Amino acid sequence: MPYRILEKKELAMNEVWYKVHAPHVAKKVQPGQFVIVRAFPNGERIPLTPVTWDREEGWIELVTFVRGKTTMRMANELKPGDELLNVAGPLGNPAPMKKFGKILAIGLIVGIVEVFPIAKAWQEIGNDVTTLHVAPNPMVLLREEFEEAVSRHIVEGFDLQPGWGMNEIAQELVRRAVSRVKELLESEHWDLVFIVGPAGGQKAVFEVVKKYGIPMEADLHPIMVDATGMCGACRVTVGGEVKFACIDGPGFDAYKVDWDELVARTGFYAPMERLALETYLKQLQGKGGEQ
Amino acid sequence: MAVKRKLIKERVPTPERPAEERVKDFAEVNLGYTFELAVREAERCLQCPYDYAPCIKGCPVHINIPGFIGKLLEHRDDPDRAVKEALNVIWACNSLPATTGRVCPQEDQCEMNCVMGKVGDKINIGKLERFVADYAREKGIDEELLFEMVPKIEKKGQRVAIIGAGPAGLTAAGELAKLGYDVTIYEALHEPGGVLMYGIPEFRLPKSVVGSEIEKLRKLGVRILTDHVVGKTVTIEELLQEYDAVFIGSGAGTPRLIDAPGINLNGIYTANEFLTRVNLMKAYRFPEYDTPVYVGRKVIVIGAGNTAMDAARSARRFGAEVTIAYRRGEEDVSARVEEVEHAKEEGIKFEFFLNPVEFIGDENGKVKAVKFEKMKALEERDAGGKKKIAGTGEYVTLEADTVIIAIGKHPNRLIINTPGLKVERGKIVVDENLMTSIPGVFAGGDAIRGEATVILAMGDGRKAAKAIHEYLTKKREENA
Repeated sequence: MPYRILEKKELAMNEVWYKVHAPHVAKKVQPGQFVIVRAFPNGERIPLTPVTWDREEGWIELVTFVRGKTTMRMANELKPGDELLNVAGPLGNPAPMKKFGKILAIGLIVGIVEVFPIAKAWQEIGNDVTTLHVAPNPMVLLREEFEEAVSRHIVEGFDLQPGWGMNEIAQELVRRAVSRVKELLESEHWDLVFIVGPAGGQKAVFEVVKKYGIPMEADLHPIMVDATGMCGACRVTVGGEVKFACIDGPGFDAYKVDWDELVARTGFYAPMERLALETYLKQLQGKGGEQ
Repeated sequence: MAVKRKLIKERVPTPERPAEERVKDFAEVNLGYTFELAVREAERCLQCPYDYAPCIKGCPVHINIPGFIGKLLEHRDDPDRAVKEALNVIWACNSLPATTGRVCPQEDQCEMNCVMGKVGDKINIGKLERFVADYAREKGIDEELLFEMVPKIEKKGQRVAIIGAGPAGLTAAGELAKLGYDVTIYEALHEPGGVLMYGIPEFRLPKSVVGSEIEKLRKLGVRILTDHVVGKTVTIEELLQEYDAVFIGSGAGTPRLIDAPGINLNGIYTANEFLTRVNLMKAYRFPEYDTPVYVGRKVIVIGAGNTAMDAARSARRFGAEVTIAYRRGEEDVSARVEEVEHAKEEGIKFEFFLNPVEFIGDENGKVKAVKFEKMKALEERDAGGKKKIAGTGEYVTLEADTVIIAIGKHPNRLIINTPGLKVERGKIVVDENLMTSIPGVFAGGDAIRGEATVILAMGDGRKAAKAIHEYLTKKREENA
């Protein structure tokens, strides 16, 4: 079932957009749902979020942030006119479409992509939505789109310092997110906080929100393989029960999530992911001038 | 058939790769019969008459076993013809013989009541079935048969949707296509095959074999839509608007977990996840393939069914020291005899009467040991015929850096939430014709059984195809 790439755009900070022909998904997808993409015969199945879609024309737009082998290989090797091998979905449950009142929807780094369709829909049904994007400069994922779609869009950018590794970036991300959220919670009244991003950052922001007692929802991103409820890789403990994020989520009440467990589980394959990326980079170098 | 023959008591063995060689890779363990060996084994068959043959009665899809074995004997001077005619006999009841010949629990089915068993070894029916399928595939004989069959199919002009491309769905699809229906399979994963692809390892059922069985279905005109998750991409109600009947063969895909502290520690896999990474995603070839799997030095597999053996033997192939821990005794192991023997030959240790009560992790949230309660067998037996067990109050802790939970599965949860679909304890309820509470929607395999075997699922697929054919014939006649 090949899915043609209709357009591809590369923006700042390793941000790549793909407009993909996938009518079965376009017809059904709701904000909060995701798809599983497989791009290469020896490739993995990765969850991505449709940002926009057209039910009549049958396409969806996916945005990736290049950080591992698969996203890099997609950015390097796929051209408009090529095909993704698989786009399965839509998967997961739609975000609850209710009138909450005033919502703070936070996206950490590429998590903002997933916030977009949800925040937009919340605003459309009469909520007052503020979105907050915390990310290293110059990442401005979807800035114009957000400005058009919600009441207020805040970008909390930070400059990368020479010599920083992933750890330093993560620490700065958490520091910025926490201080900006604190400021917003202190100065205004909120009915709901929503967050998408790396588990460690989600946890740190939750610790702040908890002090104010504001209801909070989080879309979780544990590792997934099939994403149809079959493998259990994405299991999370919520309210003391084991849930599968793929079919019970991805959205959960942040107050009930076992955050430490989630943080530990999402990091489990990091050394192997690094090995895959390094092997790929070596292959690229080996090819010399070809690239 | 009247020829008097000498009884040959001993089975003709099938060549197998030595254990020390095969634990180093994922290539197939059993090499199967050659034509010569197959004929020698076939000669042992007493050729019981069709109405009596206990093997046929023991087969869930009632293959005419003496019939196909007889064809091998009848045309022993012309191997191609012998195989072609034997395959034709098998195909009348079973469209996936290369698979069933490898994975059926023959000792509990066809071979169980084999008359030869009274005087010697039972006939090796499974390996003969596999031989016919493999020889036919290698020589293109199956294609030839299909080629003769396809033009004779009379199109019915009605459409059937099949949910799930596993053993039940593939069988139903094949049968319905042969009857002239326009069949479309909806499959959630990126490859059709279901448990044959993601669950059963390459060394027991090569994926190229499954691929070729599926290719035959395509040649029969079956359309397969991968990446379609019924319940999400499309609902059963929507399918009913487009199709004249629906068959649910969505299997038992939800892994059962152990309700014990530490179950979500890193390094603890469900068998489904472990096997999916290894088989479907080919993690044994990481980093050439992108999906990783973590196999530590010491692996404990919990459970003793076929899935547990598959997981244990797969882990062994990564070089790990593997122990199977089972809460019951050796006599109640539910895996096929051949799998248990292979596992033992490959150096897998078995620990009986151990019931896990806690998973112990290190400071990084990774499993390092499993605490078990020692169990003892009681005289009483449960509904499944297994000895009941009770705790002894004594505990033992075994070290492990990878744990695989293989204690069973529940039916797929996405489908059973369909409005109007009657479900009891997670299983779809069907009548004697395998029709569900929704008219025109049929179901079979693990979706109705909870958890069973490939061949029982295939038996259901066949039975459902027959029932769907009757249902649609009536519909045609009403509309005529």
